[in-house]
Amino acid sequence: MAADMGDARPPLLRMEGISKRFGGVRALEEAELTVRAGRIHAVLGENGAGKSTLIKILAGVISPDEGRMLLDGGEVSFASPAEANRAGIVCIFQELSLIPDLSVADNIALFDPPRRFGLIDRRAQRRIAEEALARAGAPDIHPMALVKDLPLSRRQMVEIAKSLARQPRILILDEATSALTAADVAKVFSVLKRLRSEGLALLYISHRMHEIAELADECTVFRNGRNVASYPAGTKTDNEVVELMIGREYKHVFPPKPVSPPAARPVLECRNLSWSERLRDISFSVRQGEVVGLGGLDGQGQRELLLALFGVLRGCGGKVLVNGKPVALSSPGQAKADGIGMALIPEDRKTEGLMLPMSVRENLSFASLDRVSRHGLIDRAAEDRQIEEMVRLLAIRAGSLDMPVGGLSGGNQQKVVIAKWLMRAPRIILLNDPTRGIDVGTKQEIYQLLRRLADAGAAILFYSTDYDELIGCCDRVLVLYDGMIKRELVGKEITEHALIATALNISGEQAA
Amino acid sequence: MSETANLVGTRWLRRVDPAVATAFACIILLLAFGSLYSTNFLSPEYLLQQLKVASFLGVIATGMMLVILLGQIDLSVPWAVAVGGMMACAAAAYGTVGVYLAIPFGVACGAAIGLVNGIGVAYLRIPSMIITLATNAVAQGLMVVYTGGFSPRDSATAAMRFLATGSLLPGIPNAVVIWALIGFAAVFLLTRTTFGRSVYAIGNRERAAYLSGIDTRRIVMVAFILSGALSAFGGVLLAGYASKAAQAMGDAYLLPAIAAVVLGGTSILGGRGSYLGTIAGVILITVLQSILSVMQMPEAGRQVIYGILIVAMLLLYGRTPALR
Repeated sequence: MAADMGDARPPLLRMEGISKRFGGVRALEEAELTVRAGRIHAVLGENGAGKSTLIKILAGVISPDEGRMLLDGGEVSFASPAEANRAGIVCIFQELSLIPDLSVADNIALFDPPRRFGLIDRRAQRRIAEEALARAGAPDIHPMALVKDLPLSRRQMVEIAKSLARQPRILILDEATSALTAADVAKVFSVLKRLRSEGLALLYISHRMHEIAELADECTVFRNGRNVASYPAGTKTDNEVVELMIGREYKHVFPPKPVSPPAARPVLECRNLSWSERLRDISFSVRQGEVVGLGGLDGQGQRELLLALFGVLRGCGGKVLVNGKPVALSSPGQAKADGIGMALIPEDRKTEGLMLPMSVRENLSFASLDRVSRHGLIDRAAEDRQIEEMVRLLAIRAGSLDMPVGGLSGGNQQKVVIAKWLMRAPRIILLNDPTRGIDVGTKQEIYQLLRRLADAGAAILFYSTDYDELIGCCDRVLVLYDGMIKRELVGKEITEHALIATALNISGEQAA
Repeated sequence: MSETANLVGTRWLRRVDPAVATAFACIILLLAFGSLYSTNFLSPEYLLQQLKVASFLGVIATGMMLVILLGQIDLSVPWAVAVGGMMACAAAAYGTVGVYLAIPFGVACGAAIGLVNGIGVAYLRIPSMIITLATNAVAQGLMVVYTGGFSPRDSATAAMRFLATGSLLPGIPNAVVIWALIGFAAVFLLTRTTFGRSVYAIGNRERAAYLSGIDTRRIVMVAFILSGALSAFGGVLLAGYASKAAQAMGDAYLLPAIAAVVLGGTSILGGRGSYLGTIAGVILITVLQSILSVMQMPEAGRQVIYGILIVAMLLLYGRTPALR
């Protein structure tokens, strides 16, 4: 379209007709992507739209079911990340790949250390590391420092240096800035712009619209496993892009909020809560019938806050009150007990929410075993009754309740995680990014469900990495920055601009 | 397409675990092979005798299975068995009260070893391989101190001998009845109670179980206590069988107990396995031992064959396709 966006050069990379399925889920369907040298190409899309799958295929982590990849016009296929690396494709994934107990230089040269007489040439390795760090805009990091001694934002710079040491032609950044402070983000951006001028092709995956606006030359939007639009950056408004991403008009996605916030008593109160360096002096309350969001960049203490409330973290300072009474919870078992009635929908359903090889049935009733048993003996009839009710309530689609829960689609797995807690009829519901990696339809069902639960009297504390969700679902949003509540947004104040500005800490005191 | 086939496959898998089926098939093959040597191998007397011998291993393997289902291991079996046998016999030397309390005392000593293991693994987060090896060494040392390094003089009580060698039901050895009772209890525990459900859950994903509000540490500790107690009870029975306890009486039970559990299809990584499989594994190991001894295979050769068998079974069943 649009005369190849005015670029006569042949594309460096073309992916055509790429399809990939994971069990019951179609991750990519006939997807296409064209990448040119000397450009920063942003890939947008909701979680689960297929971006990560596409990147993993390109980086050789997984292979596509169908489709082909052309590099410099010649067809290529990568059986491993190492092969992709040799072809000049290097990826920086969201999760850090550094080994904490090795030095920065060891990590940077890990895949292909310089050798002399079969042994690692430490002097050459250090030189390589220094060059890579300088190129990554972080010459201040000592190559002999241990990675575990570096703060998270510095580690991310090492990660970038490590990828540059592999001499990429195409550099992929998958949410690579999510752990960075605002100052580091600026540094990374200037590095990325310099790499672009050196002729590298950069693929930039991010949820942050302002980052894309600042960096990208071209954008491609993915939705439900297909690329739905490609356009030069800056030619569409944020709202148009969001509509492309979700495929329908934005405002219909969320259930209506109550006009005025409920004036009920606070169910959950938190006073001067602190934990190590990650939570500092956090005070807030959640009233009955309220959906309170936790916002901010990833890793600013939101997860720790939810875990602290649920009794998982040891050594928390401050006070937590439930129904006005101070409580000291030291385990999830105490948090879910009858007097408290708390539930936590954890972050990662595969490792924290579910026992994947166990049956749907066993997973559903697992948090409520005390409710369906007498003296440790499971009452199968009572168990089945409660399970059936939950399957109906959440419309869980499972071939059989006896199949392993790992065989369900991501959305249905997440429904099982939620259902297993709703079975207890909790009064305080903590959610840790519950819609990550699930399809749009299931997301909507979850939004509706949250509002229904709140209307029925639950107090909901809801962390999401998706700003739209916070805007659409929450009565109030607490924006965290560096373990502190930076700002509380109420009602109409909850806008993308306010969320992002507060999250990046660019409003107020940082200007000084 | 392939995904529906997978689902059907997994459903079938859950109904008839191929490991269990294979283990039973191996038993039949071994007996058929043995009958080539001597027709005695198919006689009811021989089979009942094998079942009786298998009972001792069966009791011990039951405890081992609980621990393996958690994704842990109990290497203190050898001396938990010896402690059970020796302490029961020792108690018998203290008058009538001692005679009455011999069996409970022996089992309690094993439970104490299990308690130490359990506290170490669950609360102090010591890897089970290390702590159980350590308690095994400590138990051995204590027993050597107690006996002065000689074979203990005390002999088993009449009750112990009756449990191990008598037969209350005509024709069926008591040991087999005891194993059957313990087996029923184990099946019940694993399938019908919150404890059993939690054991499987912890073996699959301890973090998820903990975040579901289960007291995972208590479950782990109780499983180790049960393992220690069952090992010691196995020792009590063995002492009754031989009329006395011996220093190294448990040494021959560690590897067979692990092998029986694993051959029966219980995942060595925890979270998956059925008691039926353990029964099959126990019988398989016992018949194998019997045939090897009939063939006059030296002890060294038997050890080699155990080791190879375990590795072969792990290769066959240890790697189920990863679920998303």
